[in-house]
Amino acid sequence: MIAEQKWTFKITPVRIVLLGISALAAALMLYRLVFGLGASTNLNDQWPWGLWIGFDVLVGVALAGGGYSTALLVHVLGIKKFSPIARSAMLTSLIGYLLVMAGLFMDIGRWFNFWRPFTSWGYHSVLFEVFWCVSIYTLIQMLEFGEVATEKVQRPWHKFFKKIMPVLLIIGVLLPTLHQSSLGALYVIEVGKLYPLWWSMLLPVFFLLSSFFVGPAMVTVESLLAGRAHGHRPPTDVLQSLIKVSGYVMLVYLTLKVIDLVYRGATGLLFQGNLEGNLFLLEMVLGIIVPLVICFTPRLRSSAAGLASFGVLVVAGVVLNRMNVVFTGMSGALGGYYFPSLMEWTVSLGLVSIGVLVYLFVVENFSILPGQRADGAHGLKQDKAVKYTA
Amino acid sequence: MEDHLKEDQFALEKKVTRRAFMKMMGGLGLAGITMSLSGCGVSTVAGQAGGAGWLPAQYQGNAAWPAQVRGRIPIEAQNVSIVRDDEKCILCGQCLEVCKNTQTVFGHYDFSLVNEIVCINCGQCALWCPTAAITERDDTEAVLHALQDPEKYVVVQTAPATRVSLGEEFGLPPGTWVMGQQVAALKRLGFDAVFDTNFTADLTIMEEATELIKRVKGDLKLPLPQFTSCSPGWVKFCEYFYPDLFNHLSTCKSPQQMLGALVKTYYAKQKNIDPEKIFSVSIMPCTAKKFEAARPEMNSSSHYWHKTAMQDVDAVLTTRELARLLKNQGIDLNTLPEEKYDPLLGESTGGATIFAATGGVMEAAVRTAYYFITRQEPPAGLLSLQPVRGLAGVKEASVDVPGVGTVRVAVCHGMSNGRQVLEAVRKGNAPWHFVEFMSCPGGCISGGGQPRSAVPPSDEVRSMRIASLYEADARMARRESHENAEVLSLYQNFLQHPMSELAEELLHTHYVDRSKKYNHLATEKLTQAG
Amino acid sequence: MAKGVLVDITRCVGCGSCVVACKMWNKLKHDKEAPALGKDAGLAAENWTAVSLVEITGAGDSGADKVWRFVKNQCLHCEEPACASACFSRAIVKTGAGAVVYNADLCVGCRYCMLACPFNIPKYEWDKVFPRVRKCQMCPERVQKGDLPACAGVCPADALTFGDRDDLLKQARERIAGGGYINHIYGEKEAGGTAWLYISDVPFEKLGFRTNVTTTPLPHYSESVLRLTPAVGLGWGALLTGMYVYNRRRNDVAREEAEMRISAGKGKGRKGGPRK
Repeated sequence: MIAEQKWTFKITPVRIVLLGISALAAALMLYRLVFGLGASTNLNDQWPWGLWIGFDVLVGVALAGGGYSTALLVHVLGIKKFSPIARSAMLTSLIGYLLVMAGLFMDIGRWFNFWRPFTSWGYHSVLFEVFWCVSIYTLIQMLEFGEVATEKVQRPWHKFFKKIMPVLLIIGVLLPTLHQSSLGALYVIEVGKLYPLWWSMLLPVFFLLSSFFVGPAMVTVESLLAGRAHGHRPPTDVLQSLIKVSGYVMLVYLTLKVIDLVYRGATGLLFQGNLEGNLFLLEMVLGIIVPLVICFTPRLRSSAAGLASFGVLVVAGVVLNRMNVVFTGMSGALGGYYFPSLMEWTVSLGLVSIGVLVYLFVVENFSILPGQRADGAHGLKQDKAVKYTA
Repeated sequence: MEDHLKEDQFALEKKVTRRAFMKMMGGLGLAGITMSLSGCGVSTVAGQAGGAGWLPAQYQGNAAWPAQVRGRIPIEAQNVSIVRDDEKCILCGQCLEVCKNTQTVFGHYDFSLVNEIVCINCGQCALWCPTAAITERDDTEAVLHALQDPEKYVVVQTAPATRVSLGEEFGLPPGTWVMGQQVAALKRLGFDAVFDTNFTADLTIMEEATELIKRVKGDLKLPLPQFTSCSPGWVKFCEYFYPDLFNHLSTCKSPQQMLGALVKTYYAKQKNIDPEKIFSVSIMPCTAKKFEAARPEMNSSSHYWHKTAMQDVDAVLTTRELARLLKNQGIDLNTLPEEKYDPLLGESTGGATIFAATGGVMEAAVRTAYYFITRQEPPAGLLSLQPVRGLAGVKEASVDVPGVGTVRVAVCHGMSNGRQVLEAVRKGNAPWHFVEFMSCPGGCISGGGQPRSAVPPSDEVRSMRIASLYEADARMARRESHENAEVLSLYQNFLQHPMSELAEELLHTHYVDRSKKYNHLATEKLTQAG
Repeated sequence: MAKGVLVDITRCVGCGSCVVACKMWNKLKHDKEAPALGKDAGLAAENWTAVSLVEITGAGDSGADKVWRFVKNQCLHCEEPACASACFSRAIVKTGAGAVVYNADLCVGCRYCMLACPFNIPKYEWDKVFPRVRKCQMCPERVQKGDLPACAGVCPADALTFGDRDDLLKQARERIAGGGYINHIYGEKEAGGTAWLYISDVPFEKLGFRTNVTTTPLPHYSESVLRLTPAVGLGWGALLTGMYVYNRRRNDVAREEAEMRISAGKGKGRKGGPRK
């Protein structure tokens, strides 16, 4: 007997706005496919990579890395304490990667050739590794979500998914290790062009570490937001321990950065007072040093405000770092001028909106957040009508 | 029952094998499509050429590539005289041919540049370019603008070469005499006064013959032979390659520049016009005239009036530009009557008329020099000085002048011929008193701005235009420059006499050493080229 | 033997024959807004080569305070091209003849090649719906037939010499030894060596060349990172598997012990009735 499937999607003002933006973005994406990059973006010969690569891809993949760091902690290292946030993290990651693929599809000039690297192997290219890794990883993530989905639909498949989960999880940690670092390795070939405050042979390590420590920060932000939306109290004790993991990795990151700058003799550039120097300092101070202070001060990290600040600052720091590598650090060598067009902004915003809407839908209909039943209903549902604020 | 079962089983097997077969075909098909789509077996390079197919090799080339491709001349972006539209260039190499071999400019300097492209602005490249990718810089807008400006008093002068060639732009045979119609056309365009460059051609003869006689007598402390100086392309050539022979160049300006100076001084005074309101245009067969008009020292009128920034000639239009302008304004030369030039600067003689032909300046000069020296009418032979007529590259003549002896003259056209003469002068082997140089083969009638009635320019067309000039000379009442009444008035009322102080100020000029503007070839290469 | 072209900047007169020849051979368009010759010249989607006029103060031996030099720009056809290394679908390859050639059929349009090139050469057809990367291909069809590239074949000033790269290096050294040149062959070592070489009598920085390009081929940088992939992949994969198995085992053991404790407690007697 097939139980009746109930699908809900609450309509709120915020969701209507998001739907509007998403629809507009979808229309613009179609426009871009029909009329080309020149008609929809401000990309030019001096700036071949812009907002869609810089933000949608590089920032998107970094922030979606919450999935693998959580998977590593919860499923590989078996730290059960973090399991309440595992599903949410992995869902965000899956949606994030799908959005990255959508953003990438928008950006590539010959989108009908997107499958070429599957058959024509440019294996000396870092991008080749990124391409294969991200493709397989997204597939893995979809399969991992199969375990969640089959709690509600196609239930006979659930046993199968449960059985293959361990393999999926291990590959699902291995692959991001490779491609998160590869995204950094993309810029290793920019030797002489990328500003020395960012260029380094350690770029892959830096990108890997930052993609790892931004995971807990993202999860923190998500959990606090989701908790507020569904009237939950956020699991602050879980989050506190989680961000300490971040903190330790950030310490390693900071140490390596300092050693790298000294080794390459680039420390003199820190206080030049120019745009590059100032933005680098901003990235390190606001994105690393201040969060470290919050993280290792018990009084600060135990409050919701402290946790929120940590989360937001670390995420902002990683976003700024990726933007610095793509834009600030390259501006000296590339010359010319680039500022994203209105369409570029709208599509990027639209993709995020679509992601948020999908997340909200899935959370409403499947067991993602702690305390949800298999059909997405909340344990607290029989008490009071819960007000959805998002 | 068993048969039924067996039949079922057989049917089942058949079904299975058929399905399996279809699956296999489908699979093969998919595999094949995938392989070809993924580019298996596609060579990166071969596919881009005509391909390794069944077409004969000669058809496998690039369709847009001409049979023969050759390099072209460099042209500065700010060249005053000529411009080039790269879209029309087919790399035929004709411009390089004429510049290198006929004019001996390209290739006669070392390739590492100083800070300009060596160019004498003669425009032969424009005449030889089969697609007219190289053509004159268009100044018709400036002229139209001035014509439409009610504040401006716009005057125009026409060179002799234009009156035997403008008709070609309106379907008439080369050499058709259209002097009167040209004047009418210019009046229709709205010019306030139409003058004849031949007027100052006569004036040039007055000044230059006087100068020659002074040189011969030793009054001027300037060497012989004297070189003519009315061809601006030739003058620039001399400035580039033979600045050591400057002193041979006559100090006389060209007729265009003399008239330009007089319009803004003599004419302005006579007619009481504010010289700053005068916009002076010339219609020339020559692209180098645009360069000449823009030369910084060609502003005598501004010195005369103690005013700043007034060039004697403001705009130069080639014969082709005038034709375009007339056609754009809907004026058809064929429908116009003959009209006369305006007085004061409009009268001319036969001697002036033949200026446009190679040898014409020389013949006119000889006629007047003979008269100046002997105070007698020149003999008939000097009114048809055959040795200096025709298209031979270097021509020589000897003229017996009573009281002086034999005056030897030479005439050359095209700078490759000019070089021969100059080398002789440099070496001290020059037996002549006077040499006429024209930068364009055939003289001004085949100047860079002339109608493209033959591409490349042909001697046939040249000969027809030249013949027309000599015929006009033959039928004119006054054939000697010193007979020009308006010229004589000019001296009487304004200049006093040839080479007077005022004449020196307005009608004579100096030259610029351009030999440092390029790196010279190593001497060995020079002798090879020479 | 890899071919190349030696560009002698002292000989270029800026005629632009090479520019027109390139456009004719490759069927490129002319655009007055994007000139390929002169002061404002630059490479573009339809300008596969461009000859720029550079006015230099205080150089040259003529004593003039300003000197003109014309510099021909185009893809330098590196010996180990960054663009070919960056291309993840093998759309750019270095051919045996020496040319670095682009094949639009395999191109995805990611434009990583544009970013990777240390000389910022590849340009893009932004205004097309199906855009291609555009750059000098060194006329592979012509070179294949033993002919010169279009530009080298048409130069009237002998500024472009086509031949084997080693021969060209020898020629360049001879010319430099003869005097009047800066003692440097641009492209000999830059980016690990390029097929197009330049010699000049004016310092290269003044001509707009990038003089801080590394002499290590750029692919070596990323390939040294990529080389670690198999090791990292296998090693980390093994470690993860090990950690997973270990932790699963640990959790299983802990759970078994907990169950044993409960059932032991059951055996000892319980309050209340049978467990629901």
